[in-house]
Amino acid sequence: MGVSRTAALAAGIAVVAAGCGGGPGGGDEKISNGKITLAVLNDQSGVYADLSGKNSVTAVTMAIEDFKAEHGDKAVAKEIDVVTADHQNKPDVANSKAQELYDRQQADIILDVPTSSAALAVAGQAKAKKKLYINVGAATTELTGAQCNKYTFHWAYDTYMLANGTGTTVTAEGAKDWYIVYPDYAFGQDMEKSFTAAISKAGGKVLAKDPTPFPNDNFSTFLLKAPGMNPKPAVLGTMQAGGDLVNLVKQYNEFKLRDKGVDLAVGLMFITDIHSLGVAAFEGTKFTDAWYWNESPENRAWADKFKQRTGARPTFAHAANYSAAMQYLQAVQRAGTDDSDAVVKTLENHAFEDVFAKNGKVRAEDHRMIHDVYLAQVKAKSEVTEEWDYEKIIKTIPAAEAFKPLAENTCKF
Amino acid sequence: MQQVFNGLVSGSFYALLALGLAVIFGMLGVVNFAHGAFYMLGAFGAYILLTEAGVNFWLALVLVPLALGLFGVILERLLIRRLADLDPLYNFLLTFGLTLILQDLLKREYGVQSQPYPPPISATLDLGLFEYPAYQVFVLGCSIVVCLAVWFVLSRTRVGMIVRAATERPELTRAFGIDVGRWVTPVFGFGVALAGLAGVLAAPMRAVNPLMGADLIITVFAVVVIGGLGSTFGSVLAGFLIGVVGSLGNLYVPALSQTLVFILMAAVLLWRPAGLFGREEALT
Amino acid sequence: MLRIDRLSAWYGEAQALREVSLAVEPGEVVTLVGRNGAGKTTLLRCVMGLHKQLTGTVEFEGAALPALPVHRRARLGLGWVQDDRGIFASLSVEENLLLPPVVGPDPWSLKRVYEAFPRLAERRRFPGTKLSGGEQQMLAMARVLRMGSRLLLCDEPTEGLSPLLVQQIGDILREIKTQGVTVLLIEQNVHFAVTVADRHYLLAEGRVVESLDNAQVRAREHELLEYLGI
Repeated sequence: MGVSRTAALAAGIAVVAAGCGGGPGGGDEKISNGKITLAVLNDQSGVYADLSGKNSVTAVTMAIEDFKAEHGDKAVAKEIDVVTADHQNKPDVANSKAQELYDRQQADIILDVPTSSAALAVAGQAKAKKKLYINVGAATTELTGAQCNKYTFHWAYDTYMLANGTGTTVTAEGAKDWYIVYPDYAFGQDMEKSFTAAISKAGGKVLAKDPTPFPNDNFSTFLLKAPGMNPKPAVLGTMQAGGDLVNLVKQYNEFKLRDKGVDLAVGLMFITDIHSLGVAAFEGTKFTDAWYWNESPENRAWADKFKQRTGARPTFAHAANYSAAMQYLQAVQRAGTDDSDAVVKTLENHAFEDVFAKNGKVRAEDHRMIHDVYLAQVKAKSEVTEEWDYEKIIKTIPAAEAFKPLAENTCKF
Repeated sequence: MQQVFNGLVSGSFYALLALGLAVIFGMLGVVNFAHGAFYMLGAFGAYILLTEAGVNFWLALVLVPLALGLFGVILERLLIRRLADLDPLYNFLLTFGLTLILQDLLKREYGVQSQPYPPPISATLDLGLFEYPAYQVFVLGCSIVVCLAVWFVLSRTRVGMIVRAATERPELTRAFGIDVGRWVTPVFGFGVALAGLAGVLAAPMRAVNPLMGADLIITVFAVVVIGGLGSTFGSVLAGFLIGVVGSLGNLYVPALSQTLVFILMAAVLLWRPAGLFGREEALT
Repeated sequence: MLRIDRLSAWYGEAQALREVSLAVEPGEVVTLVGRNGAGKTTLLRCVMGLHKQLTGTVEFEGAALPALPVHRRARLGLGWVQDDRGIFASLSVEENLLLPPVVGPDPWSLKRVYEAFPRLAERRRFPGTKLSGGEQQMLAMARVLRMGSRLLLCDEPTEGLSPLLVQQIGDILREIKTQGVTVLLIEQNVHFAVTVADRHYLLAEGRVVESLDNAQVRAREHELLEYLGI
């Protein structure tokens, strides 16, 4: 009790102090308080710490360096820094941290924010404070749907894009009958709906779908059920993520479902997941990827720099954080100010290419950043030539087809 | 039938962990919240031995529990011992604090992503009615053998007699000339070793990451409560029971399956406040 | 054999014993009589080491007991018969008998125990607490005899037993007395006490108020019974 009361008091004092001192100063100051502050708010110690976490901060730092190198003396601000906070994947923590970052740490923008519920909480703060927010790590389409707002942008991926990529392609390739298992919470339910819609649109059928406990370490119940179903599903679609996904795949292999004619399709997978289990466990699995480090020499060059600093290869979320930070800074440069409304205006309808986004464009109508995405397949062990060399890109899905069409969108600013 | 078998495999882990918790609670009166962390250390022990020293699974199955048992002995001597005359709140703080320290040390080193551990047997066995991964059959067998061995030691040997007596009434046992304190350290070490064994067994079939024990241990506590605090036999039986209930729950009432074990716990406690095999007097 | 000098004991703030001094000589059977709450059980527990909040001297054959842990006292030859009989539910009858180590020079063998208590022999595989109250009391006595304890500390062994069983307990006490075993016994039943004991200490409010021999007890039987509220 005492602690939270003290924290509330401190936050209150901070708000007052910011109002008196910092504030949008006198007339012609273009950059508020003389510097640009980018905040990375994500999971630094929990299940998403490896796929975003501290390495996302590194990616953002790399963007700042590249931006400074590009613009030199002409850069809109001399001083650009990064602050960071851990939201522990909890919406309430995310909410108060976002408030603190915007008010006390004078952040001009918040980046990353995995976990959908936390992501939506931060969107609420962005709207209230009229400050920018580019989400990278969360999957929910709500950010650019019913709960969209003028200051919130969404980079990289969402559940529609994953379902559309994997569900549509795998069905179109002939695996018509699906059995879907999904973790019983917001993300899983969202994924299941998106996949079911995509599969039936592509002419397939979901024979059965089962919610699973979350977290869960024993999936045998569902794995045993699959090959015995009548008719037998051609593919098992798993919407599990992180540790649950690893558990499920280990057990999928133990039960030898692939030998029994039930293929595996994974809803959301990061390269760190493949690294965890080894390629052998995932061999042949198809999934949708927003970006792959070894897809082009350009990607690879960036990934090399990233590896020098972090010791690991980047996930698509890391590259997307770089892109989001870079595009934000470029927008400030073009606008000549960090005033939120002006920056939003320059970001809207902006078309661009960077190391992450090919054919990238920020839709003005819902602030979804669309770009080419990829259908990837996990290599066989014999095809792997170096560590982290796990994927081959089998199809590029053009930006215009990859994301939810505007016609279906419910966003109103 | 297959699902029941499934549940028994899950139950294998619950039983091994609950058994360790039960003997530790019985003998020391300590509710060991760090038990899940020891399980996690077991899995990591196997992983580290494999990657750093090339030690295979079968050897790890012996080495890791021994090493963890030793670790438990040291821990008991250094820290757990001091809980004896303190308020139970300190018991919670110490063992829970240990959990966080162990988890974060491994997080620092390995991150939160799961580590790969290859299955030692990848064949499936034809069990007549259905086929089943041979490794999981091995896990079940291993757990049953260990539980039976522990049961044999507890029920048929002098050591077991002393442990049973000291578990039931430690002070009275002393009054009959038995130095209960001398047995406390090895019993704690043994409980930790059991958790380590469960961890090694889990490595090939479950995600190996620093948080793997944290999720599991809550269920295991429910198992121990259902079985009757301090009752070793009850813990093992409840372990397998909860495994089966969870597995069937997954199949028939997936939305409820996670809560099912706690509903069962509440029901058992209403019906028998000391658990299925607990004695009322153990509550006071 | 047992010498207690100015022993005081507390439960938190409440004082249960006030400077109690008494002695038990080898081969004697001595009873402690007194109302409930007089401090009899506390006194016995202080000797065994089960109650620790105390001051004063307790010596067993010259060894200062308060410095010794409970299990060491048992190994010196103290035999404990608890008021609730102290039978282990998770041990069989035979295991209850075999749990304590043999500590004295003249222990009863298992065979002798079973000859003396045939009911225990019949039920040797039963869990200890499945016995009747009387059988449990026999088991509790038999257990310390098998240890070969030289000083038995018996907390009301006859409580709640039928007259027949009380008589049997009396027989055992007399038998082991001939064997030279010393007994310190809590006993409310003064009729019974005079049949087994040599001397009696009357306790009231944590103090020894009188030391009586059998003749004195018989002479003042009515007064004592009235005092004890029986």
